[in-house]
Amino acid sequence: MNELMSVIFAAIILVGTFATIFSKDPFDKLICLGIVVGGIMPFFADRGLLDILVATALIAPLSTIFILMAMRRLRHDT
Amino acid sequence: MNGQEMALVLCGIIALYAALRVVLEKNTMRKLPFLNVLSFAVSGSIVLIIPHPLAIVAAAAYFVGSTLESNAIASTWAGGPKDE
Repeated sequence: MNELMSVIFAAIILVGTFATIFSKDPFDKLICLGIVVGGIMPFFADRGLLDILVATALIAPLSTIFILMAMRRLRHDT
Repeated sequence: MNGQEMALVLCGIIALYAALRVVLEKNTMRKLPFLNVLSFAVSGSIVLIIPHPLAIVAAAAYFVGSTLESNAIASTWAGGPKDE
């Protein structure tokens, strides 16, 4: 991975991070968190950390599903 | 720049464009197709970056995980099952 690809994927991570911070709707925040997770994967692949890549790719959607369950509980109570 | 590097750069540009479209889109449901486009581009670039036999397993795991995440967000946004 050359410098151009590093800059492109770092830009994806930064865009996703600031969009996560500045978005108001909780669903928008979760979608922008998906952008951040997608941006860090090529850096794992560049270092050859394929086991960590598989673990992260399976744990991140599970954490999103847990947050969605909590959001549904909150919306059901109010 | 050979063909593989050009394909990698193209995947990166598609991923960046999809990320910007996700951020600039106002409607929440219209964000999700562009998130899927980002997932396709990142899966392709994982395979193109590292020449290893397990790279296809890693790319498939990321592809399945991101699709599951998008489906979970869309299903919860739509209200989930009605019979509760």
